[in-house]
Formats: sequence, structure tokens, C-alpha cells
Amino acid sequence: MDFLFTISLRNLFRQRRRSILLGTAIMFGTAILVLANAFAHGISEVLFNEIVSYVAGHVSVSFTKGGNANNQIFHDGDRIRAIIKERVPSVKRVDEAIGVFARAIGNGKADNVVMVGMDPSGEGVDEKEMEKYAKAFTFINGSFDNLGDSTIENPVGLSVEKAKALNVKYGDVMRVRYTDIHGQTQAARLTVATIYKPSNVFMSVPIFFHVKTVRRLLGYGPHDVPQLYLIIDNPKRDAKRFADSLHAGLKPPLAVIDGDLSFRSETIATTLLCLRTDSASLACADSGLRLISQTANDSANRKKSVIVSSAFAAATGMKPGDTCSVAFEGKFDSSRATVRLIVTAIADTGAGIDGNVVLVNEKDFYKAFYDTWPKSTAAGTGPFRPDTTNGIYKALGGEWLLVPRSSTTKDMMKLYREIAQKGWRAIVVDVGSMYETASMVLNLEYALNLITFICVMLLFFIILIGVINTLRMTIRERTREIGTVRAIGMQRVDVRNSFLIETGLLALISAVVGTIVAFAAMWGLSRLTFKAGENPLGMLLVDGHLFFAPTAGAIVFFVVLIVGIAVVTAYFPARRAAKLSAADALRHFE
Amino acid sequence: MIRIFGSILLAATVTFGAPSIDSLLKGLDDLYKQVSDIKAVVTLTQQKANQGAKKLEMMYYRRDSDQSFLIVITGPEAEKGNGYLRVGDNFWMYRKNTRTFQHINRDESIGGSDAHGDDFEGRLLTEMYEPARDDKGNELITEEMLGKIPVYRFEVKAKVNDVDYPKKVYWVRKDKTVMLKETSYSASGTLMQTAYFLTFTEIKKRLVPVKQLFVDEFEKGNKTIVEISGISIDKLDDQIFTKAYLENLSK
Repeated sequence: MDFLFTISLRNLFRQRRRSILLGTAIMFGTAILVLANAFAHGISEVLFNEIVSYVAGHVSVSFTKGGNANNQIFHDGDRIRAIIKERVPSVKRVDEAIGVFARAIGNGKADNVVMVGMDPSGEGVDEKEMEKYAKAFTFINGSFDNLGDSTIENPVGLSVEKAKALNVKYGDVMRVRYTDIHGQTQAARLTVATIYKPSNVFMSVPIFFHVKTVRRLLGYGPHDVPQLYLIIDNPKRDAKRFADSLHAGLKPPLAVIDGDLSFRSETIATTLLCLRTDSASLACADSGLRLISQTANDSANRKKSVIVSSAFAAATGMKPGDTCSVAFEGKFDSSRATVRLIVTAIADTGAGIDGNVVLVNEKDFYKAFYDTWPKSTAAGTGPFRPDTTNGIYKALGGEWLLVPRSSTTKDMMKLYREIAQKGWRAIVVDVGSMYETASMVLNLEYALNLITFICVMLLFFIILIGVINTLRMTIRERTREIGTVRAIGMQRVDVRNSFLIETGLLALISAVVGTIVAFAAMWGLSRLTFKAGENPLGMLLVDGHLFFAPTAGAIVFFVVLIVGIAVVTAYFPARRAAKLSAADALRHFE
Repeated sequence: MIRIFGSILLAATVTFGAPSIDSLLKGLDDLYKQVSDIKAVVTLTQQKANQGAKKLEMMYYRRDSDQSFLIVITGPEAEKGNGYLRVGDNFWMYRKNTRTFQHINRDESIGGSDAHGDDFEGRLLTEMYEPARDDKGNELITEEMLGKIPVYRFEVKAKVNDVDYPKKVYWVRKDKTVMLKETSYSASGTLMQTAYFLTFTEIKKRLVPVKQLFVDEFEKGNKTIVEISGISIDKLDDQIFTKAYLENLSK
């Protein structure tokens, strides 16, 4: 083998000019392939690290209330934070993601804005992120520190462009009209506490508040949380895994409201359970419950169902059409609430709801549940707890509704359309990682790679025609030489292999040089500074420079692929050379 | 924002002696209650500051028995054929260009105007608002003149969260329960909108306001005029509140 290698290497250097020309072509193709792949991956990295991680977090938990994706609120925030801590113990930071569209009025000028909450000096913000902030915003007046200044009335930070559009200066008062978390139209006076020039054109649109300020303006209560973004150390490795783990930890328990039911002069400890009113749950309830009397049975009224068992009805004297009230204790701040219910049906005793229990349609149940989060839990003791093996159990609602994980952006958008369509009353909880939330970025990278790959393969097709042609010429030139080596005992397979090794070495050396050239080109190109201005393509730059992210795996793949293709292409001419008989080859003369 | 619902069936038959705010609200609710189906032509003329006027014309069908309504935009040309259909809890937007129905929320804008889907709902004032009181617990109600008309001016505050404005002030005629003016405030007390009920017509012994002016007090220069004509209270066919009917109307 060693002598074959020596012969191949000698042959390669013997025809230096031809080898250099062919090698240059292969090197050029390799360099383009590596460069384009590194650029596509760089775009993807920039989009993920500089944009997606800010607008979607590494892992996100959303809470859609009332089927409106803009209405993000969960009323037992401490519990969610505890689950996050348990499931993702290494989480660096949990950011509250708040952003609402608003109309702002400055000095005689009005413009649309997005009110965004931030806490740049909050817990978990490390030096690296502080550096990122410093690079992203050049402050003209004040700084983000002013946003937390309690002596200023609703401090707000604006970009230079937005300040110009609203004709406001540092310290000016502007007004803003927005819709709060409850859907009410509100107005607020804001004080311009900082003006900055953002490095990214997209940062010109939002106006920034301290998250505490925007929470107050939008009407979030002390125990409420909006959509949450989790920032972790190694999103590439852990984002999906943590999202899966968090999703498993967010399985909702059964929703129960334990309270005192008052009817006429009687008061009796009772549990309210949620009867879901989607068609599957209604069918489940129909098969499990035998209604013996009811006010009406049309579909509209079924969605207003309030059902008690015949035994409970007999004990309390309730019948369909009667109104009762249930007072219950809230979880927070010693609150109490009362819910009024109109009984619509009596079910036969023995249907799994034998006891002091009222099945309440999801609309009325969740209104009461979310208005005052009850102290009672399914795990605790109460007047009634359903048998989990009973058929009706599947029709009962949880404290929230956890939707399956979406695998792509498209799936996620489909899910949100479904949420809006189905009119679920429970808060819909969705967990996603940045790789699903922004799977279109990965698709973009894939598309760029595919386009480059196809183009370079076309280039290689032309190059490989050159390889075949060169080999044919070489074989022709070396016919007598082949005859000589065959005559002194060289085997056919060795003749063939010598040509294959020669081509393989040429391709390998060229591919390695091509990779080195690609790295040199990346270094050179990333030194160039581009002034993108307001061009959205500026978002693909890092500090005004192109960003390349070559990966070892991709480079090894390309090199192996190129060498492989070259060797396969060389195989057929090499085999033909090997098939020459020694006598015929020695007789060859040109 | 624009309570078109209220404008269509705000009628006047009740007189009060010494009214409480609750009784006035209940009186308005009684009058708001739709006694039949309704069909009307609604024109919204929207004037934005430093911009020209935008006129939106639509056919409006409504049936309260199953909380249904249908809106088909008939002008301008760019919006013509688009529509909105609500049946029970489902609310769809129809786009003529793509011939598609899309589920939307009740707070979605109608034809890009200030009117929202929930403005067409029939919610009771007494469910949404309660009397505002002073420090001594007295209801904030006074008698005054609105121009030459004696009115009750009273203040209400939201008792539920899902209302457009947390505070409102109403001017209601003393001799009959007709709302003449309404101001809406944010929680911070900022005056956000003033509504004037300008012209009324009598339909089956009910006074129906057919011209209203909504002034945006937040962004000066914005105003919307709502005009209603061609009102019919004949029973509407069931097939009107269907996707197929909306599609046919849009052709």
C-alpha cells in the first residue's frame, strides 16, 4: 500500500500544472460550500441569539385567556414559578414578557407604539447580557436605570426615531392610550426618562418601561403573571429538553371550588366542579349522567348546565330553575367570593356525582374560579372529590388547559387558531422552546444551505467532467508506463487503486486548502463594516459586521463528500486503465 | 367603543319620579332589550386628525334570541363584500378576496373602524355598571340642563372587568329615558370619548337614535358619525345568520 501511495503522490506532483488547475477548481467549490454554509448558519445563530431569544425566550410559557392570544395572564403566578424552579433548576432568569399596542400622543404629534416591559438590571442578568444591552442601545439622554425611578411619573424609554415622531424630548410628558389586560381602554401620562439609539432597527418601534410599571398600567394583580420567557445557559443543548420537562410538570390538577351553598335558609358545604362544554366532554357527560329533570335541552342551554344529583336535590329541596349561591374562600389576601347559580338539571343518583357537588358549566365555573382563585385544591379534603375511574371524570375541567407541545411554528399558529375557535374558557397553557417557536428560522437556514448545496453541486459536476477528462488524458499518456508496471508484476487492482489514490489525494488536498481559503475569506469579510441604517437586513449583522458560524461537522461532511465524489468519478477511467493487458499497453505508441 | 347596539334600540317610554341610578340604568336596559329582529343600513363616517374622512357603509342584521348578528360591508369599494357573522359564541370575519372565514375575537375592529365586534353585543348596563358614589355614599346624580333639555346627569363605574371603560357619565332626559350624551373615562380619570345622540326617529312607539357623534377626546380631531337608516323590525329568516348567506350577499 505504501508504494501505491508513493507512486500516486509522485504522479500527482509530476503533472504539477494539471494538478494545480484541477485542484484549484475543487478548492474553489469547497471554499464556496464552506463559506455559504457558515453564512447560513451565522444568520440562523444571529436570528436565534439576537432576536428570537429576546422575543420568545429560550423556553416560553404562555397563558391564553378567553381564546385571545394577546390576553396573556395566569392568576397563580407563584405556583407557575415554583414549577419552573422544580423542573428547570438551572434556569438563569424568568422574564415577564409584556407587549401591547398603544396610541401615543406627544407634543402635537401622534404615533403607534408597542409598550414593552423590561428589567435590564434584574436578577439573573449577567455581565455578558449587560454588554449586549450596552451594544444594542446607545443612550442619548438618561439610561434604562431611570425606568425604575419611583420619583418619575411612569418613566418610559424611547428611540430617537420614536421621540422625533412624537416630537418629545428628554423629560417631556406624553400620553398613551391602550387596552389593559381586562379589555378596558385606559390612558396614562408617561415621562420620557431616556432616549437611545438602537443598533437594531426593530428596537425603534417599542417604548420601554420597567416591567413593574407596565404591569401596573395594564392591570396585572400581585399574583398574576403574563407570558414567561425562560433564559437558560445552553439553549442549543437544553431548550427542547427543558421545555418537555416543564410541559410534563404543568399537567393541570382537577379544578375544585369548595364553599358553602346557600339555598333558601339552608347552608351546606358543597364542592363545585367544572363540566366542560366542548362536544367530546358533553358526549362523555351524556353517557355518564342520566338527567331526570331539566329546564331545557337545547344546545345553547346545555352550555349553561348546572347539574346536581337527585339525592343532593332532595336534601336541599332544589329543583331545575332554582337559584342558589355558593360562597368560597380565595387563595390570596383572605379574599372571599360568592357565585350565583341557576340549577338547570337534576341527574340520577349513582352517576358518579353522589354527594354535595354541583357540576357547573365551564363558562360560569371559570369566571368564578379566575375572578377569585379558590383556596381549595383537588389534592386537599373537601365536601366531595370525584372518583377518577368514573366515566364522567373525563368531562371535568382542570385548573387550566395544557395543550400538546407544537413541533413547528406552523403547528403553533394552527394551535392558536384552534384556541380562538374553540372558545375554551380555561386558561390555555402552552410551553415552547425557541426552536419550535421560531422553526421558520431553521427552515430559512435549511433553505439557504440547500440552495448553496445545489449550486455547488452543479459547479462540481462541471469540475468532475474535468476530473474524468484529465484522468483519460493521464491514462492515455501513461499507457506504456502502465504496460511496464504490469509487465514487472503489478496487479490490475493496484493499477486501479493508484489512480484512485491520486484523485483522492488531489481532492483531499484541494478540499483542505479550500476550507482554509474559506476561513480566510470569512475573516476578511467579517472585518468589513456595513452601515445598514434602517434597512431591515441590518438585523443580520453583528455590530455592523457579517457573522459566520462554521461548524466542524459540516466541514468534515463537505470534505468527505467532495473526496468521495471525486474518487467515485475516477473509478471508471481507473478501472479501464487497469484492464489494459501489459503487451497491448507496451505496444501503444502515439 | 361605539355602542351601535344602544343606538338602534334606544327607545323612550318610561318616566321616573325620583330616580336612582340603578333605576335609570334598568330603564335604559329595558329599552335596550330587543323585542324583535332588526335590519338596518349603518353608515360610519370616520374623521381622523390630519386625514380625510373614511366612510364605511354596511348592512346590519341582528337577532338577540340566539345572540346572532351579520354585517356585510357595502362600501367603500375596497371593503365591499367583506363581512362579519356571529352565532352564539362563534364570531367569524369573511374576506371576499380570499373567500375565507376566519375566527376572530369580539374585540376585533370592524372594517378597520373604531367599532368592535363587542359593540354589537347586547349586554345589560346593570350587569356592567353600578352607581358611582361620593365620600358620603351618595349616588353621583344631578339634575341639569343639556342645552334647553332638562336631564339627569349621573356617573357609573364598572362592576366587572370586561367593559370598554371603567367609568362613564350619562345625560338622560328627565321626561323620558332617552340618552342624549355619554362620556367615557379611563381608570386614571382621563376623558377618553364623548358620545352625542343627535337625531331620533320613532319606530313602533320607540324613539330610536339614528344619528350619533362619537368624539375621540384622547386624540383630538378624531370623530365618528354613525347614521342609521332603513330600519326594519320584521322577523328575519334563519338562513340569514349562516356563512352561506354571507357568502351569497358578498357576491
